[in-house]
Amino acid sequence: MLILAGPVGETEHDGGAHPERPARITAALDGVADLHLGSDLVTVAARPAARDDLLRVHDAEYLDELESFSRRGGGALDPDTYVTDSSWDAAVRAAGAGLVAIDALESSGEGTAFVVVRPPGHHAQRDRGMGFCLLNNVAVAAAALVAKRARVLVVDWDVHHGNGTQEIFWDEPHVLYVSTHQWPLYPGTGRPEEVGGLDAIGATLNVPVPPGATGDVLLRAMDDVVAPAVEEFQPDWVLVSCGFDAHRADPLAELVLTSGDFAALARRAAAFARSPGRLVLFLEGGYDLQALRISTAATLGALVGGFPAPEPPTSGGPGAEAVRSAALDRRRAVEELSDRLFALDSLDAPVTDRPRRGLGGAQ
Amino acid sequence: MRGPARIAVGYDGSRGSEAALRWAAALAGSLGAELRVVHAVGLLEHAGLASLSVHEGRAREVAADEGMEPNRVEWCVLEGDPGSVLRRIAEGPDPVELLVVGTRRSSVHPGLLGSVSLGLVACAPVPVVVVPPTHRGR
Ligand SMILES: [Zn+2]
Repeated sequence: MLILAGPVGETEHDGGAHPERPARITAALDGVADLHLGSDLVTVAARPAARDDLLRVHDAEYLDELESFSRRGGGALDPDTYVTDSSWDAAVRAAGAGLVAIDALESSGEGTAFVVVRPPGHHAQRDRGMGFCLLNNVAVAAAALVAKRARVLVVDWDVHHGNGTQEIFWDEPHVLYVSTHQWPLYPGTGRPEEVGGLDAIGATLNVPVPPGATGDVLLRAMDDVVAPAVEEFQPDWVLVSCGFDAHRADPLAELVLTSGDFAALARRAAAFARSPGRLVLFLEGGYDLQALRISTAATLGALVGGFPAPEPPTSGGPGAEAVRSAALDRRRAVEELSDRLFALDSLDAPVTDRPRRGLGGAQ
Repeated sequence: MRGPARIAVGYDGSRGSEAALRWAAALAGSLGAELRVVHAVGLLEHAGLASLSVHEGRAREVAADEGMEPNRVEWCVLEGDPGSVLRRIAEGPDPVELLVVGTRRSSVHPGLLGSVSLGLVACAPVPVVVVPPTHRGR
């Protein structure tokens, strides 16, 4: 069963000639329709996230400023990011859609949810929108789950690093944030040495790959680097920052994946979930409408079964070495931070209640 | 104490960033320091979809105008958000010792639009100077 939460942003938050545009939602919905799921498709409408839900991941001052900026007509937040008079309402409903998806999965106890919303979220930091993103949709959902004592894995295969999600959960040991992304590329964060803060050593996992990387490179990252960390972390929920801008047709980046690769990545994400009904995919980037449509169909088709991906998976591109060195750099950084924590503890600094964690081979 | 030998300034072609460049160039010139003019490439610019007015030539002209020798000015273009790019320049190999940024801070939405510089001030490993857009140099 597929639970579709949304859609949000099919008409609102329209910046005119900008690649992050309403037609993206229509393309994703077309991809869902291509699956002909019949009664296996359940659509649940988004509702606005409550202020308390937003406050878990954003500062009150930022929320107030963004709302009033939008209500007064908006403008440019930075050279990439626009706000219109409908952006605030769209962003709050986009952030709420993930919560609705979780509720629906909790009552059904089975299936997969796809949150079809825009503006996207993973670049949005606690106190700042950027990179087309205003509110961090996946982070709002993850934080709500953590508040219910769940352990949450966030897998971000958007071609850009999710700097906002990383920042928000930097010191949160109950969220394992995993990102594969092109490097170098905006936003310029997401090096393998970025492994989380002293309270959550190893709970951030970054695998940057070079332009031209193919699907097999990302699968290798999932199998060799991500899977062992997930095994150790034991997540209750798996949330995916599901951008499709790593597709070869995408105008914003230079990875060369196909819809078949997204299908394979989706199977990996599903395998990370330990029980049924605990997988939620959030639409992030993806700016070529046809690629977005077929990648949506292939990804969801791999999860609900019975829909072959329209393009074969790719292999042979550069990046195997980048994955290997990411694993090493990560291990080194985890060890250094663990040593520093140990030294702080020996000094009897006020960090003695900190959880002892060491994802990525510190033990 | 001696002054910084290497200074970096963020530059995106805007009036605010040009004010920062002027201030940084004047300081670097008077100290005999090296100046890195850093341009961060955003999402749209990477895709060739942005209409920005960023020119190496213009940056060099402003630096020369403030008395810098051309060979002490380095033009750096890096992929990323201005905040993360400048932080990387201050942390990386051969790091700079001072960061200079302008601000897009507007009277309408001071918090939202000024937060690149605020974020940098909060977490940069070296001193940060924030130059107001009204600064016009010498
Ligand atoms: Zn993206």
